[in-house]
Order: sequence, then C-alpha cells, then structure tokens
Amino acid sequence: MRFDIAVVGSGLSALIATRTLQRAGRKPVLIWPGLSSLYFLYATVDVLGYANPTTAEVVEEPISGVRQLIADHPEHPYARAGLPALQNGSSLLLDWLREAGFNWQGTLDRNLLLPTATGTPKPSCLVPTSMAAGDLHRNEPIVFCGFDGYQDFVPELAAANLSNGWNGGSRNVGAVRVPLPGVKPDRLFTSIDIARSMEDATFRRAVAERLRHAVKDDRARLGLPAVLGLTHDTDVHLEFEKETGHPVFEIPTVPPSVLGLRLFDRLRRHLQETGVEMIWAAPAHEAEVANGRCLRIHLKSAGREQPVEAKAYILALEDAVDGAWRAGAHTVRDPFFHQVLAQHATPGERTDESLFAAQPFAAIGYPVTDRLQPTDRDGRTLAANVFVAGGGIAGYDPTGIKARGGMAIATGYRAAQEAMAA
Amino acid sequence: MITEDRETFSDTVEEEHPVEACTKCTACNTVCPVARSTEIFRGPKFLGPESERYRDQHETTVTAGLDLCSGCKLCEVTCPSQVSIQEYIRRAQNKGAREKGRTLRDWLLGHTRLLSRFGSLTAPLANFGNRNPLFRLLMERVVGIHRRRPLPKYQWLTFESWFKRHRTPHPDPPPQGGREIRRTVAYFYGCWVDFNERQLGQQVVAVLERNGIEVIVPRQQCCGIPAVVNSNTDLARKYGVENVRRLSTLPEGVDIIASSTSCGLMLKHDYAHLLEIPGAEQVGSRVYDVCEYLWMLHEAGELDVDFQPVDTRVLYHAPCHLKSHGIGYPAMRLLRLIPGVRVEEVDEGCCGISGTYGVKVEKYDLSMKIGTRLFEAVKAAGSDSVLADCETCRMQVEHGAGSRSAHPIDILARAYGYR
Repeated sequence: MRFDIAVVGSGLSALIATRTLQRAGRKPVLIWPGLSSLYFLYATVDVLGYANPTTAEVVEEPISGVRQLIADHPEHPYARAGLPALQNGSSLLLDWLREAGFNWQGTLDRNLLLPTATGTPKPSCLVPTSMAAGDLHRNEPIVFCGFDGYQDFVPELAAANLSNGWNGGSRNVGAVRVPLPGVKPDRLFTSIDIARSMEDATFRRAVAERLRHAVKDDRARLGLPAVLGLTHDTDVHLEFEKETGHPVFEIPTVPPSVLGLRLFDRLRRHLQETGVEMIWAAPAHEAEVANGRCLRIHLKSAGREQPVEAKAYILALEDAVDGAWRAGAHTVRDPFFHQVLAQHATPGERTDESLFAAQPFAAIGYPVTDRLQPTDRDGRTLAANVFVAGGGIAGYDPTGIKARGGMAIATGYRAAQEAMAA
Repeated sequence: MITEDRETFSDTVEEEHPVEACTKCTACNTVCPVARSTEIFRGPKFLGPESERYRDQHETTVTAGLDLCSGCKLCEVTCPSQVSIQEYIRRAQNKGAREKGRTLRDWLLGHTRLLSRFGSLTAPLANFGNRNPLFRLLMERVVGIHRRRPLPKYQWLTFESWFKRHRTPHPDPPPQGGREIRRTVAYFYGCWVDFNERQLGQQVVAVLERNGIEVIVPRQQCCGIPAVVNSNTDLARKYGVENVRRLSTLPEGVDIIASSTSCGLMLKHDYAHLLEIPGAEQVGSRVYDVCEYLWMLHEAGELDVDFQPVDTRVLYHAPCHLKSHGIGYPAMRLLRLIPGVRVEEVDEGCCGISGTYGVKVEKYDLSMKIGTRLFEAVKAAGSDSVLADCETCRMQVEHGAGSRSAHPIDILARAYGYR
C-alpha cells in the first residue's frame, strides 16, 4: 500500500502528528497496533508540573518552566522538539478539540491545580472543562462524592488527604456517598459502566437528586470520579450541574480512563470523518532501508505482511505500554531497525523497586537527531525520512516532571513538520 | 514492551502461555459493543484471558455468558498486546457445547450452507415462509429465530450454476489497449453470493474480467464462520480442512479473492490460528479481499480507471471484521477514484447483527440496541445508500435504518457500465 506519510501509533503524539499533516494539506495514514496510553493514562495535557521531580515544587507557568528546562537540558525531548512545537502544537490541539465539539480550556501560561482521586493537588495545564471547577486556586469548599459499590474512588480518602495539604488544612473539605439507582451492590462495575448510564437522563437525574440531598453545604463544589458520560459528556456535565445545583468537577480515576477514552474517540473519529484513513489491527515493524532512506515498513496484517510505502514515516510509539520494544534478558531492541536500545546485566536493572521513582525502562528509546530522526548508538541517522515522536525517543519520561501530553504534542508536531520537509 | 528470548529470560512465560500477554488493561471491555449495550455481559477480558487462566482441559467448562459474545473481534483489534481474546472464548464455547450439546437452532445456524441450499432449492416457498407472519411466529417458538428479523431472500439459480454457464472472455488484445495482463484469480464466493446475492458475484467477476483477469471458481465449502460463532469450531474445522485441501491445489501464482469480509478473514487468519489447520498459512497468504486486490492492481498501474461518472452520495460503514484484516479501507480508496461518487465514512462502530447472532430470539433486541448509533447516523445523513463489504452488516443497516445498501463493488461495476 502506498501513502503520502505514514504515522505509526495510537497515542496523543500520533494523533497530533496526523492532524498537523492533515491541516497542512498532506494525506497521512494512521497505522495503529491497538489502543495505547490514552486509555490508561490520559486525563489532561500536562505540560510541566514539577521542574524537579524530587522536590515536586509546583511550576506556576509551564511555558517559562519548559523554556528553562530546554536551556538546562539540551538533550531533553522538549529541547529536541523546540518551544515553538509545543506552542503551535497546543494551539492546534485546542482548535481541533473545539472543531471536534469537545470543551477544553487552559493556556501554557498557567497551571491549574487539580485534586487527584487520592486528594493530592496536581498541576495540569490544558484540561477538559468538566475538570476545571476543581482548581485549588479557588476557595469554595469541596465535597467529594462517591458511589456505593464503586471501588475506584474513595471520597473519604480524597477528603482526608486534601484537607491535610490544601491551604494549610483550613479549608472545608467533605465527603459523601450515595447509592446508584438500579445497581445491584454485588456487581463489579467500572467508571465506564457508570459513564454510559449517566447518558441516560433518568439515571442521571436520580443520581443528582440523591447528591442534592446528601450535600448540605450550598456553596460547595462537587468532586466526582470522571463518570459524566462518554460521548455526550459536555451536555451531561452541564445538566448535572443544573440538577445538583452545584459546580461539579470530574476527577480522573484508575484505568480505564473515561477522560482518555473520550479524548481518543473524539479525535480519532474526527480524523476519520474528515477523510484520514486508519489501518486498524496492524502492528508495524521492519523498516527496509536503502541509501539512507526507508523504502517501506511492514504491517502484520491478517494472512500476510503488508508493505507500506510512504514518502516519510513517523514512529509515534507512545509508551512502554504499547508493546513498541522487544525485550530479551539483556537487551532491548526496536522492531524497525533492530537496534539495541538498551543493555542490562539483569532484567531487574530496568525497574526501580520504588513505584514512584523514575523507572529506567521508561527512558528506553531511539537516540534522535535535532530533527527527531532515529540514530544508532554512535549517532548515525538510521533513515533520513523516519521521525520519532512520543515515547519512542530516548529519555522520554514525562511521569516525574508531569509533562505527559505536552511532550507528546511537542514531539508529534515537530515530527510532522520534519516529515513534510523530508 | 513485549518480552521474548525465552531461553535466557527465565521469568518470561508469555511465549509458553500467550494468555499472560494480557495486562488486564480493560481496553477490550471498553470497546466491546455487547458490553456497551448490556450490563449482563461481563466483557471479553473476563470471558477471554481472565477465565482462560482457570480453564482446565480435564474439567467441565463454565459456559455462562460465553454465548453473549457476538464474535465481532473488536476486542482483538483494540488489544495493545495482541492477545487472541476471541480464540479463548470460541474454544471454551466449543468445548462446553461438546460436553453439554447444542440446541437445534445453533446446529442449524452453524450449517448455513446446508440451510441455504435447502432455501435455494425451495426458493419460492422458503421466501414465502420467511415473510409469512404465522410461519415466523412458529419459527420463533420452535426454532428460536426472532420473528421480526428479515431473513435473506433465497435465489433458485445459484452463483455456482450461473458461473458454469458463464463464458470467460479472453480479451485479445487486452481491454482499452492497456498493457498485457496475465493474472488468474480463484474466487471464494461464499454461501451468501451462491444462494442469496448471485448478482454480487457476477459483478465481482465482471469487474475482475474488465481488468483482464481470468476468474476461476474452485469447488468450495462454507468458510465455517457461522459454525465458529455457533459453538461449533469442530464443524468449522471440518469445513476449513476441506477448503484448505482444495485451495492448496490451485496452481502457483493464482491469488484467492473473497468478496465477503468474514469469509476472507477465516481463510486468511482463523484457519491457521483458531482452527490450527495444517497448510492454512500458505493458503491464507494468497487470500485477498476483493477491494484490497483491486487497490493493489491500481497501485501496480493495472487497474482500468476509465470510469463513467456515478452521481451518488453514499455512506461507507467499515465492518468490524474488515478492521481485523489490517488493510485499512481499500473500498473507500477505490470509490474515491470514481468521478461523481461522494463517499463519507460513518464511524459508529458495530452494526450489531454479527452474522447469525442478531437473528436469535434472545439476541435480537440486543443486536438492534448495539446498532442504534449507526442507524441514527445513517438516518440523519440522508444518503442514497450505505456501502459495506459484509453481507450481514448490509442486512442490519437495511432493517435498522430503512436504508438501501450495497457492496462497494456495486458502485465500481456501475462505473464500468455494468448494471
């Protein structure tokens, strides 16, 4: 199959790269091996939350923070992508979300501070409007609301933690729990199940009614796990605020992420409806290179391998979770060029025992040129018309600095610009 | 990160136990059209890999809930770790059916070819019965086929008999003064074309021959997918072995074409993987969806693109099983070559019928509920017709949205001037 530019991946960097190409009048094809990190991790676009993961001091102005980070770390993926890529990529995303009928807000100039499901304040930059009322820069009291039988959000825990840490513990933070109408308590259900039910007006009104009775403080904003609809979430959120009589904000929960699911579905569908072809269920591998250029990559399709030829290729491998690398006992290789990306005496070296420490495996990826082309370990470009975005880049670890989303946007946008010039 | 290199990595079990590749991420449950539509279905993650870890070949299979899986394979399409979720469900279902027996209805639906041959032989009567409310009520009570589900019309003249009388043109010189083309393809037409929509098969043959391709029709059996989804992989394997044996004898260089998405997927993938039929990989590597093949010709500069304009606005619905092919949407690409055709994709997921799933009395309502989003989008779009490569998707869209429907080849045939 022949295409103009092939984008491999299904995460935010792949979507941004594809959209950038589409907006520039190119004809990208989006090749994806299955759902990626958007389903597990994404709720917001964090650009830079902590400049130093150890001190975890909150960055107030993400754009200035990234400028400083680029100056301090010229090898960082943000530095490779460049500040304009972050700025242009972010405006592209916000415009795109608006066009696709999705309400988001935020600017690169200021971080919001939003409570997590455990009641920790977390800096975020661009967020769905349904989360914005949770901003801890605001002063209204917060009541966390949970549901009987729903195990992924414990309102009492969130309230206890937040009241310890927020504004010196002086603020009014509460917790309530209500039963969900018609749900048998012995059934295991996830945020997705509730989100689907919330699209039913009768169900939603019954929940709102119960919360209205349970919450005594008229001034309080309500913090709910992110369950306010899957496809009609904007309307569900608006109606729910009216029905409860309180400002309502959503809080991301453990996977599957309702917020990530909404984002991915909306953007993917918008791409398809505006004429971008997607190739589903086709893990890509094997780059054939001649004279320094990639001639084709191969897809593992049903029955046989499908060669895909394009003028340029973007490997937007989002994260370690999407099966991008091949790991043996001592080496980690990439499936396109068979490069050794990392070597370890024991597999144990890839992980740190502390869950919250930086994990060495997360940083595994291609060394890249200033134009985001993958190189071998000696810095020789592997193929001039291949560009890497997202987690495929060595040293790409957005977790500790809370830059998940921002780094995907910047590298996705930059890779697309370079691919067009290739 | 996928871990391999087993000898040197002793704590890796994925190769020996592929089910361990499942990271329990729940992506499959979130896209499952059945789980989306009924809370009584536990979803592919639980019924596939999670239950698989507890299944024991020597113990009776727990089958509760397995039959609610419609077999759309969107779980596998979605899985970031490429776990064969469906295969676990289908194998467990087959083992359960071996132990507990099958209902008459599921036995019949698994034997589609037998049923269709009977329908075709008695076509006027069968079609009358299928449209007769009293007979349908009886059928619902006795067999368990929902009375509101329109059943396909049978044709007395089968595609096979038509093809026997069809004279393959050997154009000399080649058409449109094009380059000399020397290709022969074997057409796997499937039960649907044979007994229900001979015209589609005729269009496929006409379009291929127009491009200087010789079409041959090898003897064939049902591809087996109706049996697979009716708890009978044993029967499907029997059919598959027969097809693989026959298709293996085709001369080298003869490609195999299928115009039904699901038949094609069985030949390409499921024979080798789910049914583990020897020799199936070699056969599968020669199989092409008809639109995939025509697009390949186009890229090779061999497709006749001298199309007449077809002034029409159509929606394209990508069947779930097409996504499993991993070839993108070749039909959309072809249609965009034809002047006058305005084609838009309607991306509303599974239509809900899933072959024989939506005809069953206990599944009909669920099947219609799954398709609701698609029906609404089709009604709102107000296009001339809905194109889908899969025959049961077309049945469902016609029934649920009251729209006309066709295989994409229909537009291509019209663009070549065939009616």
